[in-house]
Amino acid sequence: MSGGYNEIHPEPTTFWSKYIISFDHKVIAKQFLWYGIAFLGIGGLMALLIRWTLAYPGEAFPVIGHLLFPNSAGIVPPDSYAMLFTMHGTIMIFYAITPILIGAFGNYCIPLMIGARDMAFPMLNMLSFWFAFLSGLVLLASLFLPLGAAAGGWTSYPTLSTMIGSPGAGQTLWCVAIFLFGVSSTMGAVNYVTTVITLRAPGMGYFDMPLTVWGLWLTAILNAIFVPVLGAGVILLTLDRVMGTTFFLAGASATSGSGDPVLFQHVFWIFGHPEVYILILPAWGIVSDLLSFFSRKPAFGAKATALSMTAVSVLSTIVYGHHMFTTQMSPLLTQSFMTLTMTISIPSAIFFANWLGTIWKGSIRFDSPMLFSLGVVFVFGLGGLTGLHLGTVTTDLYLHDTYFVVGHFHYTMAASVLLGGYAGIYFWFPKMFGRMMNETMAKIHFWGTMIPLNGIFFGMLMVGYGGMHRRIYNPFVYDSLKRLMPINEMITISAILMGLFQIIFVINFLWSLYKGKKAVNNPWNVGTLEWTIPSPPVHHNYDVIPVVKCGPHEFGNPNLKNGRDFQYQTEELVQGPA
Amino acid sequence: MKRNELQNNLAMTVVLISAAMLFVTLFMGYAVYRSSADVWPPVGVAKVSLWLPFLSTIFISISSWYCYQVRLSVAKNDISAAKSQLWLTTVLGLAFMLAQSGLWFFMKSSGVFVTSGIFASVMYGFTWIHAVHVVLGLFALGYLRWVLRTPSPYILQKTINVEKFWHFLGVVWVVMFIGLFVF
Repeated sequence: MSGGYNEIHPEPTTFWSKYIISFDHKVIAKQFLWYGIAFLGIGGLMALLIRWTLAYPGEAFPVIGHLLFPNSAGIVPPDSYAMLFTMHGTIMIFYAITPILIGAFGNYCIPLMIGARDMAFPMLNMLSFWFAFLSGLVLLASLFLPLGAAAGGWTSYPTLSTMIGSPGAGQTLWCVAIFLFGVSSTMGAVNYVTTVITLRAPGMGYFDMPLTVWGLWLTAILNAIFVPVLGAGVILLTLDRVMGTTFFLAGASATSGSGDPVLFQHVFWIFGHPEVYILILPAWGIVSDLLSFFSRKPAFGAKATALSMTAVSVLSTIVYGHHMFTTQMSPLLTQSFMTLTMTISIPSAIFFANWLGTIWKGSIRFDSPMLFSLGVVFVFGLGGLTGLHLGTVTTDLYLHDTYFVVGHFHYTMAASVLLGGYAGIYFWFPKMFGRMMNETMAKIHFWGTMIPLNGIFFGMLMVGYGGMHRRIYNPFVYDSLKRLMPINEMITISAILMGLFQIIFVINFLWSLYKGKKAVNNPWNVGTLEWTIPSPPVHHNYDVIPVVKCGPHEFGNPNLKNGRDFQYQTEELVQGPA
Repeated sequence: MKRNELQNNLAMTVVLISAAMLFVTLFMGYAVYRSSADVWPPVGVAKVSLWLPFLSTIFISISSWYCYQVRLSVAKNDISAAKSQLWLTTVLGLAFMLAQSGLWFFMKSSGVFVTSGIFASVMYGFTWIHAVHVVLGLFALGYLRWVLRTPSPYILQKTINVEKFWHFLGVVWVVMFIGLFVF
């Protein structure tokens, strides 16, 4: 059902109502964007600290090492190392990728791309951001505790995460922060699902929605279903830590029955595997649209792409066991989970082939959003292929817990999503802020990200295949791993280079906010609804709710006579002579 | 169906699915504990008396019925009757909380402490988590009381939403009662 209930809310007049507790989806999107970028910086710095330790163990971290670790002469100590990789993973997944891809793009794109004036529940939307903000504060506060922040890995497996493995309040605050973030995500999911179903512009069927909206919508559905599963897990973990229960403590009380640490792993991965898709679906959607927009061709098999993304979402809910092949799972179960995991390759291959079909013989414009989108195609391809080794029991048993796993999930969850996020930022920046970003700097940023990024993550695959385990403070105390030191140095140098090139992005972003060239309504010449209105849009987006008459990827129609190679979604599809 | 109703129904459905997933996870964990235990309750731990949980079940069931009556009265625009029924719903909700507090006190005085192992963990932990939701539900009932004060076209929709949440809590409790206390 589409069209309809779309009130114009009064425009806020005070600074407080306009920028702080704003109900406007566009402002909330920007709040999430700033929030995500800030955490991206923090998580990125942590990554550099981890990488430095692995390449130059026992050496002080340059420049700020003495400031951060005054008691160890600037060297990252082992306990801080465990804290760093835990917080790096947590921050990047929950506090950087989620706010940018889902919070910022979801809030900004969904109402604009479906022709709505706002989300279905603007107040809930505002609360969603402030819950996320509170959650971020709690997490950051844990860094300043006497015994430090959580250090049991981003997966927080018991017993590492119980009071036995993690004394101090850091892990407890981690649980509280994750729970609060879950509440925020659920609020967002309620809004996204409802908005897409009820506020689409008249004439917009589900397959007339841009694939970006499809990705965000599916993400919201997965969020609503699976984030509470993690919520239950962290509540029980908190009770174990604070109240003395034994849900995840084995052998705590032999006479009265003990808990089950492996149960937490089940709970975590029932959430955790869909979470992978929660993070990547928005990027898939964005890339699916941008490849079409910048190839000046209709998206090849757009319906099949949407249905494939849906199929992946469904399958993602029944494959989690492949994360637990080494937990003495029954062989019958491992084989079942392996088979189910392999079936995900089918819909994934369909939309991947559709991406290639879209750019095939297209009039490709290598603008920065397209470069980043092509980057996603490359890195996601690699990430997907390396997933086959880990989804197969026989190879996973050898590769489990090695850097091969780290390389694989960084290719899929980090590289793909990061590049997809940048593609989205460069693409919608003109609409968001009314100014263009500098294209030359954007292209330098792309190559400065893309090349080192592969140095990092391909290097991880190599050292992992070479037998280097993850989460070891100094792997080179083992003779067998000493030969991997040069590759680790290469990875670290790549990471430093990639980090430095992000400064170009930050400068470009901030400079363009104030000094960038004024953006026209439709700088990329595409036909989706948000490009029919001014840049930036007015408070209520649309003076008149648009009526949709064609799909979002109408390019290169030979019957077009108006000098354009695209049609707006509000225009009747131009037909040729009968 | 009006747009506003559709939005509210959809949103509430998503909220209930999310909340249900939380409890489904708890019950899944319970199934693992039960199926992997040789005997349940574990040796040396006495089964909790059914008396107080049964009383809680009675309270929350009647409370749910009165909540249903609230919606019927609001639908008939009989706000005065709705207010009385809402008052009864809330009092029974509070009685449920009182019975639950009694249950926790009784378990403690019987030597079943929170730290007494997995049986006590389940009994205390699950009922606490449910009770927190009931407290949220009581706030929702208070909000509905406030909503009923002034006429508005959205009263019925808001009543339906609160009613759904309250029934949901009742259903979860009944499942908990049967799963944790009866069997």
